[in-house]
Amino acid sequence: MTAPASGDGGDRGGRVDVMARGALVGLGAFAIMAGAITLLVIVPATMLRQVKAPPDLPPYTARQLEGRQVYIANGCIYCHSQQIRDPAFTTDVDRGWGSRATVPEDYVHDRPHLLGTMRTGPDLINVGQRLPDMDWHLIHLYDPRALAEWSIMPAYPYLFARKRPQDVGPGDHVVKIPGPRAPAGVVVVAKPEAIALADYLMSLKRQYPVPDSARAGHRMAMQRADGGAGDGGR
Amino acid sequence: MSSPLTPPPEAPLRTGALADAEIDAVAAARGLAPEDVAIRARADASSRRTVLALYALAIVWLLIGTIFGDLASFKLHWPDLLTQQAWLTFGRVRTAHLHAVNYGWASLALIGTCLWLLPRLVHTELQGARFATFGATLWAIGVAIGAVAVLAGYNDGMEWLEAPRYMAGPFLVVGGGLLGLSMFRTAAARRAEHLYVSVWYILGAFIWFPMLYVVGKWPTLSGVESAAANWFFAHNVLGFWLTAMSVGLAYYFIPKVLGRPIYSYALSVVGFWSLAMFYSLNGMHHLVGGPLPTWMITTSIVASIFMFIPVVATGINLHMTVVGRFGALRYSPTLRFVVLGAVAYTAVSLQGSFTALREVNRITHFTHWTVAHSHVGGYAFVSFLAFGAIYYVVPRLVGHEWPSARLIRWHFGLVLAGITLYIASLTWAGVAQGLALLDPQLPFQVSVERTLPGLYGRSLGGVLLTLGHLVFAYHFWIMVRRPAAWRARPPFHEVQPILYTAEAEAASRPSAREVGAA
Amino acid sequence: MLPTSLAVVLATAAMTLVPVLVLAWGWRRGFFRDLDAQSRVIFEPRDWRVERPWESPAERLTREVAYGAPLAPRPGEWGGAEGGGER
Repeated sequence: MTAPASGDGGDRGGRVDVMARGALVGLGAFAIMAGAITLLVIVPATMLRQVKAPPDLPPYTARQLEGRQVYIANGCIYCHSQQIRDPAFTTDVDRGWGSRATVPEDYVHDRPHLLGTMRTGPDLINVGQRLPDMDWHLIHLYDPRALAEWSIMPAYPYLFARKRPQDVGPGDHVVKIPGPRAPAGVVVVAKPEAIALADYLMSLKRQYPVPDSARAGHRMAMQRADGGAGDGGR
Repeated sequence: MSSPLTPPPEAPLRTGALADAEIDAVAAARGLAPEDVAIRARADASSRRTVLALYALAIVWLLIGTIFGDLASFKLHWPDLLTQQAWLTFGRVRTAHLHAVNYGWASLALIGTCLWLLPRLVHTELQGARFATFGATLWAIGVAIGAVAVLAGYNDGMEWLEAPRYMAGPFLVVGGGLLGLSMFRTAAARRAEHLYVSVWYILGAFIWFPMLYVVGKWPTLSGVESAAANWFFAHNVLGFWLTAMSVGLAYYFIPKVLGRPIYSYALSVVGFWSLAMFYSLNGMHHLVGGPLPTWMITTSIVASIFMFIPVVATGINLHMTVVGRFGALRYSPTLRFVVLGAVAYTAVSLQGSFTALREVNRITHFTHWTVAHSHVGGYAFVSFLAFGAIYYVVPRLVGHEWPSARLIRWHFGLVLAGITLYIASLTWAGVAQGLALLDPQLPFQVSVERTLPGLYGRSLGGVLLTLGHLVFAYHFWIMVRRPAAWRARPPFHEVQPILYTAEAEAASRPSAREVGAA
Repeated sequence: MLPTSLAVVLATAAMTLVPVLVLAWGWRRGFFRDLDAQSRVIFEPRDWRVERPWESPAERLTREVAYGAPLAPRPGEWGGAEGGGER
């Protein structure tokens, strides 16, 4: 077998050099990534462990957690965010989506986060405050355009059953669809998934004052428009 | 004037093997030892089946992903389209699209090209080719399970990481592991003196992706820590998986086709290491304004600005190598795709740095701008690279050129028009949406209505892309569909001598009389 | 717009200093000694000589002088279908 020759010294010396370079590239690549993981994932995770659940924020009930899974399973996150940005930075608060910027404490019960990256639809972190009506949510989920004709939100009729009037049972949650889009001759009944989802949505309220731990200048200063540190809200 | 070397006669051969007589003949003609010729032949033959399998799987996922993409796009401006079935709802179809095109099409096409390229660059056979083929199949099964699961409503809840970890995960992990093992064993068996820059990018990608996957799929994360891990993964899977392989391939195909070395190899060293350092810290720029500590977000914004260094370094290399040779794009479909892809890389990276600035982010965050940006990267860059690579590699695997120049032109024209329309309409829609959202006097309705023309434009762009992909898939099919024919023929360029013999090394050095640069 | 916090300043300093030091060490070790040869690793003698239809006569002459008589490209050499594959 012809040994690879080069102007770079003998075969043996060349191969040792190449080995060194190969291993170095690999080690360097690994080390840099490990450093970034440490800085941006591990360190914040340990720091954020001191974040306590605010007294005004109860954990999700079992039904709300079910509803949260329905939210995830149907990809609501791809159109809706759940975060309010600093009012000094932008107009989330002016738009009426919340009274203050959200802070890490607001998300302690969220596993995983549902912060979202798109606002094809409105932000939802305080939708339970804005729209505390189960029936509104059920109608909206069944057919968004029954309530807002300009809406491009998908309809979720499969979260509901359409029954003949005589088949409606005593425990059924009937949803009265208003206006011309109401289905004729059938009664819309919410399935448990729809009710759970609406329950979850109505649990989304983060209007309580910023917890003391966030306000008392702990190490994790929240963002402000100038990039400097500040507390999360009023 | 020219005296072309007559290609060796194409004698009927044993499947997968080369006739000794043919090797001897070519070796004698080139003044080389038969063993050197045989090694290259075996190198190319070793990867042939694996790479073709990966390409076939990739193209299947391209078609599936494209259809899901079209459906998702239509549903945004025709919201009552196909809403009765849960598995067709926008939120699931859109996820299936992203999953299929990233983990299916892009990953498989790039992995396949890397498996072809690495043996060539390190001058040895692909080690463990059968395991690699098996690994590719497992990976594709994992992608399929992930897509079906998401459509069925099983979803791990984080963007880019939706495929359920205990359903799809094992297949992706084992399959990816076998592919990576093949890659590392090949690199370890190398005979090459120098490790070309593409090798660093390829090996880097296979080291980095598993690390990212572990972080992204860590099961105990919750709250805003999960957001940090989520966007650490999602952003870095772009930079250290898709981009790393794509840039590595661009560093090969551009100089190789043009026949001139990369503009400045020193810059490629700078580009690689600065990409590693700065890209890895970028991820939090997806959360500007969000409920995370300021220092994290600011670090990411700063790192996003520092990205100018690797982007300019890589850009100079890839673009300056082509300057003065743009005529080559007329003759080489590979260069058409790869050069435009490289331009898109520079563009998307500069756009990314720009978008990370708080003042710009204020307008663009949460809008369709981000989706447009992701398609500049994922399509105009990564997918174009993959198309260019496939056009180059497949003739070398099946031993003959592509059947139809017209089909190539149609493919190129359709996808170029499609992605241009896509990016233009959606970027415009995003800015309109962002500006409307910033004005609290304007009801939310206005932000939705202002995006509609752009959403229709994006759908039209998507239809053009779909047509282009159908043309491409058909062309690939007629190219490879007679395996008996190409298995009997040795891989294209199969009897190239390996570079590193003394004679070949001398032949590669420019003579003293060289005028100007090659 | 510019960062002010100490953590960021330190991280930035580390991000610039560490790679510079590593690159300097690599330079001392001689990893960058033969960059030119490294950039030519991907080429074989045939790549230098094969005729490229887009090159000007001056460029072709340069190639011929430096590397020897030109070789014919194979059909599909550049990733396409030039050899009359108009089906």
